[in-house]
Parts: sequence; C-alpha cells; structure tokens
Amino acid sequence: MEIVRKAVDVAVTRLSITKTKSVRSTSASLQALTAAALALPGLIAPPVFAADEEVSFQYSHYQEGKRQLFDSKSTLNPIEVDSLQGSAKIKLADRIRFAFNYTQDTWSGATPITTAPLARNGNRWKGETINTGASPLIQATPGVFDKNFNPLKTDNPGDPSANVIGKDTRLAHTLSYASPETRKQGDFKLSYDFDNAALDIGGGISIENDYESRFGNLAGRWDFNKKHTSVSAGVSYTNSHTQALLDHAAYDYYHYKPFPFKDQIQNTSDGGHTLSGDREDWATHVGLTQIINKHALINIGLGYTYSSGFMENPYKAVTFIFVDPNSDNQHRLDKNLNGNYAALFEQRPNERNQWTPSLSYVQHIAPLDAALHVDYRFSSDDWGINAHTFELTWGQPLGDGWTITPKFRYYSQSAADFYQPVFLSKQGLPGSHALGADGLDTAKKYNALNPRSLPSNYSSDQRLSGYGALSGGVTLSKQFAKGVNFEVGFEYYSHAGALKLDGGGEGAYADFNYYMANAGMKVNLDSLATSLGESNHHAKHHQHTTHQHAAPAGVMFDHVLHNAGDVMVGYRYMYSDQSGNILHGNSIAKDSAIIQHGCANNTCSSAPSYMTMHMHMLDLMFAPSDWLTLMLMPQFVDMNMSTRELNGAPEDPNAHSHSGGHNTGGVGDTGLYAISNLFNKQGHQINLSLGISAPTGDVGIKLRDTHGLGGLFIHYGMQLGSGTWDFKPALTYTGALNNWSWGAQASGTKRLESKNASGFAFGDIFQATAWSGYNLTPWLSASVRGVYTVQGKVKGEFNNAHFGDSAEERPWGGSQDYTGNYGGRFWDVGFGLSAVVPNGDLQGNRLSFEWLQPVEDDVNGYQVERDGALSASWNYMF
Amino acid sequence: MKMRHHLPVLLLCISCFGILGCTSVQPWERGNLAKPHMALDASVLHSSLSQHNYNSREGAAGGNSAEGGGCGCY
Repeated sequence: MEIVRKAVDVAVTRLSITKTKSVRSTSASLQALTAAALALPGLIAPPVFAADEEVSFQYSHYQEGKRQLFDSKSTLNPIEVDSLQGSAKIKLADRIRFAFNYTQDTWSGATPITTAPLARNGNRWKGETINTGASPLIQATPGVFDKNFNPLKTDNPGDPSANVIGKDTRLAHTLSYASPETRKQGDFKLSYDFDNAALDIGGGISIENDYESRFGNLAGRWDFNKKHTSVSAGVSYTNSHTQALLDHAAYDYYHYKPFPFKDQIQNTSDGGHTLSGDREDWATHVGLTQIINKHALINIGLGYTYSSGFMENPYKAVTFIFVDPNSDNQHRLDKNLNGNYAALFEQRPNERNQWTPSLSYVQHIAPLDAALHVDYRFSSDDWGINAHTFELTWGQPLGDGWTITPKFRYYSQSAADFYQPVFLSKQGLPGSHALGADGLDTAKKYNALNPRSLPSNYSSDQRLSGYGALSGGVTLSKQFAKGVNFEVGFEYYSHAGALKLDGGGEGAYADFNYYMANAGMKVNLDSLATSLGESNHHAKHHQHTTHQHAAPAGVMFDHVLHNAGDVMVGYRYMYSDQSGNILHGNSIAKDSAIIQHGCANNTCSSAPSYMTMHMHMLDLMFAPSDWLTLMLMPQFVDMNMSTRELNGAPEDPNAHSHSGGHNTGGVGDTGLYAISNLFNKQGHQINLSLGISAPTGDVGIKLRDTHGLGGLFIHYGMQLGSGTWDFKPALTYTGALNNWSWGAQASGTKRLESKNASGFAFGDIFQATAWSGYNLTPWLSASVRGVYTVQGKVKGEFNNAHFGDSAEERPWGGSQDYTGNYGGRFWDVGFGLSAVVPNGDLQGNRLSFEWLQPVEDDVNGYQVERDGALSASWNYMF
Repeated sequence: MKMRHHLPVLLLCISCFGILGCTSVQPWERGNLAKPHMALDASVLHSSLSQHNYNSREGAAGGNSAEGGGCGCY
C-alpha cells in the first residue's frame, strides 16, 4: 500500500514538474495515456510501457483438453504450447526510446484435421485391431447413406456392401498429431517523444518451419486539450509466406480437376509435398483516449484490416459426401444409397475486409482503491463473421505491493458464410485419386469433377464456425520495493457452440477448452537507478557491482551475495552448435563404418547432420543471511536437429520419417543452489555451491505417428531435460590483483536415480576449468579460459517404442538413437568479453559474452562434431 | 438480431456522450488515473499471452497482424 502511494506521489510530483519543465519526465498518467492510445485493440502491439527502462521475462503453458470422440479413444495428448517471452526497453536519448521483444513458442499434440460423420470412423481407433495413434483417415472411402443423404452406421465402415445398423448423424473431429514445432519472433519499436506527441516505428519477423511473416508499422499519438485527450493513428503491413509440408500420414487429400492449388504444390526430395502461398495484410486504426474525470478514462477505437492472398489453413481438410441419387449403381437393395467420403483442401476467399470498433472504459473505485475495466469490441468482416467480445477486469491492490486482477471474458461469433462441418455434393465420386499415389500429372487422365457442383468457397475449420467462448482468469502480482515485479496468472477458456450469443452454434462435438498458466518477472531499471541514487546503503552495493572482476560468461557459481537481503537478477543465454563430420573417438568416421558399427548390433541408416540448442536461463539470487546465497535457475530450451541418410545404407522402410529437421522446446530442468563463501582474504575467494537439479524438463517427447508405427520417442539428446533428480556440486576459487583476475572451478553432475520415467539416465558429468582476465578499460575486460569436460554414456534405454529398438522390430534408425553414442571427453578454449555500464541510468548492469571453441573431442561411439558454443549473460545486483 | 447489429453503434454513441460530459482534471488531480492498475492494459504480461491464444483460436482475429504471431494453424 505504502509503495503504491509513494509511486503515486512521485507521479503527481512529476506531473506538476511536467507543466513547467517539458515532457522529459513523462508522467505516469501520461504513460497510462500513451498505453491507452497505443494499446487499442487491433493493429498495434500493446507496448510494454510501465517504465522507460525495463527488462521482462515470462513463461507460459497452454494446454488444450481432450476432444469428444464418442466411441473412439484417443491416446494422443491434445495440443500444448510452451512459450517464452523476453523484452528489453531502454532510453537511447532524452526523447528516444527503443524496445525489443523476443518470443518463442513450441507446440505439439493432437488437433482436428477435419470433421466427418462419426459413421465414417475417421479416427480409426477401432478396438484392439488397429494401433492406437494410427493415421487419421481422410482419403476417399465408401460410405452408406439414406435417401435423405444422412450417414448410416454399418457393421464394417469403409465396405460399400456392409450391413446397415442405423442412422447416425453424429459428427466428430478427425484428429491428427503434430510433432513438436517451434516458432521464433523478434520485433522492435523505436519511439520519439515530442512535447505533446509521439511517433513510433516498429517491425519484426516471425519464423517457423512452414510459415514466415514479416511486418512493419508506423503509429503516432497527439495529446491536446491540456492532455485530457489523445488521438492516435497507425498503419501496418504484414507479408506472410506459407510453405506447409503436407501431413504424409494424411496427404490423401482428394484430388480433382481442375485442382485449385495445382501451381502451389511442389514435390519434396523425399517424396513429400508442400503447399505454398503468400498473403498480405494492411491494417489501419484510429483511436481516441479521453480523461473523463479524476476517476475515469475512456478509449474508443476503430480498426480496418484488408487481407489478401492465401488465407487457407493448409492443415485443415474439408470432408465432402459424394452421392449420386440418379445413378442406378448407387442404389442398394435395402433402398439406401452408396456414396463416398473424401477430404478436400479448404477453399477460402482470397480477400477479406474486416472492421473492428472498440470501446474501453476504466473507472477507479475509490473506497477499495480498485480499478474496473470494461472493454467491448466488435468485429465484422465480409466473410460473414460478426464477433462480439466483452471483457471485465477488476484490478485490486491488496497492500504490501500485492495486486490481484480477476478477469472475465465472453466472446461470440457467427459462422463464416462458407463454413459447414461437412459438405454434400450430389454427384458420384469423380474419377480421381489421392495426391500421394502417383504424382500430380497423372491425375489428368481421370475424369474431371464438375467444379460448379461445389461451392466456390468451403471450410470446416472450427475457427470459422458459430460459437461462443467463456473464459475467466486471475493474475496475481507482487511489486518489490527494488523495482522487481513478479506476476503469475491463470486462465481457463471454454469454447462451445451452445454459448453463441443468439443460438444456432455448432454442435457439442466441437466443444473444447484450454487453460493457460503463466509466470513472469519485470525489472524496472528506472526505479533501480532512483533507489540507488537515494540511498548510501544501495550505493555500496552498487560499487560492488561495478567492480571488474567477474568470471567469464560461461562460468556459474563464481560469486556470492555478501549481505543478508541482497538480491541479484540475471539472465543467461547459451547457444551450441554441432555439425559436419561424424566422429568416432577423436577421428572422423566414414559412412560405411557408421553403417556397420554406429548402431550397436543393428545397421545404421542415418546420422545427424547438425544439431543446435538454445538455452535461456533466469538467474535469481537471494541472500537469506550474510554467509548463504540461494539461487533459483529456471531454464527454457529449444533444439533443432536434422539427420541425413548415410551413403550406402540399406534401404530404410521408413526413410522420410527421420530425415529432415525436428524441433523440440519447452521448460528445461530447474536448478536450486546454495552457495557459501568458505574463504575470503586479500583478493582470494573460495566458494562452495551445492545444488539440486529438479527434473522439470520433459523426457517423454515423441515424434508424430508415421506409417502406423505409433508415436516414437525422439532421440535422447532432443529431450528437454535429464528426467532425473541430479546433484550438482561446484567448488570455485577466484583471485584478483590490480587489473588482473583469475579463477578455477571443479564442478559435477551426479544423477541421483538410475533411470527416469522414460527408462534412461544421462551419464554423470565432471568439469574442470581455469581462466584469467584482464581489465582493458575501467568498464571492459577480456578473458581466456580452458575447459575439460567428461560425460558418461546414456544408461538404460527408452522403455517404449523408439528407433533402434531391436526387440520391437524397429532396428532402423540413426546413430543418435543409440545410448552408446552419448558422452565423451571434451577440451575447449573460451574467449570472453565483459562490460559493465559505468554511469547513467543503466549503471551497474553487466553484459558478458564468451565463445567456447572446441579444441579436441574424444567421443563415445559415433557423434557429430562440435562447432562451438556461445554464452551470454546479463546481471544486475541491487 | 437487430439489436445485435445496433449494439456497436449504441455503445459508440454512449462513449461520445461520455466524452462530452467530461470535466477538467488538473495534472495534480490525476493520481488515481496514474495508478498502475488503472492503465488500459494493467497486466501487460498476461494479456499479451491471452491475446495470442485468442488470435490462434478465434475467427475475429486478424486485426492484430502487425504483431506477428505466426500462422497459429495448429
């Protein structure tokens, strides 16, 4: 409470200065206004405007619930997404601000590929006879229908002469499984503040395997009427390119002539198909924010978006029922009709015009010091989708820096004009064949379908259906005096046809729900600088931070906090890359040798061509007493790997299932450490760190089902953690004299369990390192380091289906699938630079980089060569 | 049905009257408006994620294209 009041006092004082001075110290209320003006729903990214200079990190997990599949039982996990966001905002000059955001998402799991009558048995999970997780059925198969074209359930789905059990008009989604995929996005915003206006220019890029999007935007804000009123306007442009690898377990999209995407489908080298397309979006918006009185403000906005090009979702197929009631041979003896089910690529219009008016109202509730937010947004487009969004949010400070914010949201939309769950075409199945069978061109010899008998646009994507959604959530945040803010949030979302505003929504088969949980941290560098300036106590720490004797970026546990109550916040990033030759021991292995010896008793068919890893770590340190420092280190990892077929390898019955790239990503293991200073005299220090690594990283990641094999574990090295509780001790010596510093460290990782939930354990690790550093200037130092690492082989083996599993008659695989090809002895040399900001608002922030160059490898078994690793760290102690 | 189509217009009119009815607020009287939970987007971290989820699951998304956000095709 006290802190909030102080903040307000400061804001108010600052505001009165603003009046006489200039806009240099932008008031908090103006910031609120700025945010208001720029955060209009629609086009412009909501700016992170709590402070002028700020660093923030956050993680979230999205998990969908299981779909209603009636008598089919899916063993597949529904779609889940792990996201990581980091952003930094700094002031480049008095009036110039720069913000940068980085986001990455990794998703995997089961999601609908089409909707079909239940009688079609699209999920094919039929009792014991078919593997669980078998391929979704979208290729053309026979079906039986009554004279009103209702689907009939038979005793043998897919057999045109099967006996009819009865009418069954129920629908069900057909689920398809997506292997892990990662998307990365970087975007920036550069802002210039005038006395009564601001100009923003921004842009960014979002990259995923099958979709790449580039965008730019320009926005302005003008304050007038003594800053009671702000007007904003903006324009943005986005250019997106889709290159979708068509699901090879389900590429039997029905192919008819004239084929709509004929020129957009290419064959890939390993027999697959890609569908590509381009799309452009132009978006504009105008907005007005008005202070109504001391307790309320309002914001109205209008957005318009024009989209053109390829707007189809390449992973959604539309199920058509083809029945020709006039054809004699389609009539059955039981007076029902024979027909066919077939799935087509969806067809959306090539243009879309969308209007989005919006209204937001914020009211301060004085007795509770609460803020009530009421938001309404309407969206209307020429596809026929009209959508209403109502949102109520209540911001309630609880005192002591705590704020709880419950929110409630209701969304309802009408269906697109061209949406139907299933389409009926009263003609026989035109002569055609599946796309994958023998190439595109041979299709010409088949009879053409009469395209006039199909609607010009059709889609059964659930996003275009009529439905409503209710969601509720809460965020809880804690503001610490030193400018650090922690936030956790949770939201539950329920999508249901029955929730549509005026009825007529999609059937209950399409209902689903999800939850999202997030945790984030913001560090306000402004208030840090202020509090440091105000207090001698802090100034002392500050001095400590600016000393130039830090260990290289790749070294951890080298320092402790000296006073009870001290806090340090840091971020570490590590990138490593392996590519090129396959090593056996310390020499290059020939493909023929890998084929023979690289896969234990089996024959190797592939080997890694490269593997990269990015690791993001938060470094949160706290000293409960003068002699003990506790450290919490959550991690987020993502990996990318590609394999190649070995020259001369025997033909692999499953070739393209494991050539090409794979991604994984998500939360890694979480470290908890206690560090204590054992010795500290005349420039020499010895620290002991004892830590535990908790197995929070997933070790059960599977590749999508391929060719009916069922989901297979992705190789050991691509799992996100160790899966075991690990003990991690480290003993560190550091020394310093004048401009020189040096140090040495011995550290290890001992697995405390013999196997994890997936049946294996990584080898133990021991590492020894020594370094020396020199201060080039008072703020810049350089270091050189030597590292020796030894790690054992993987113990145990995956306890479920995986490549290289001879017992399961799945011997084909690559060297990466074998436990003996992990670990080894490694020598590296590191070159590092470390800079500390000597003065100004960002004083005391330290940035360090280190490149680790492999000098020698002596690998266990057969492994791809290492190229090097980059470590970067930022930290701030206060 | 009619009511639904007129709702946005109605709300816009209400907001216009709201603006006309506003009073002068001196800078030193803006303490409440300056509070962090009074910002139009008070939980920036959480809402950027929520918005991303809505965008990849709802048909009215698309107005947010300049934020990127990817295909969201899953």
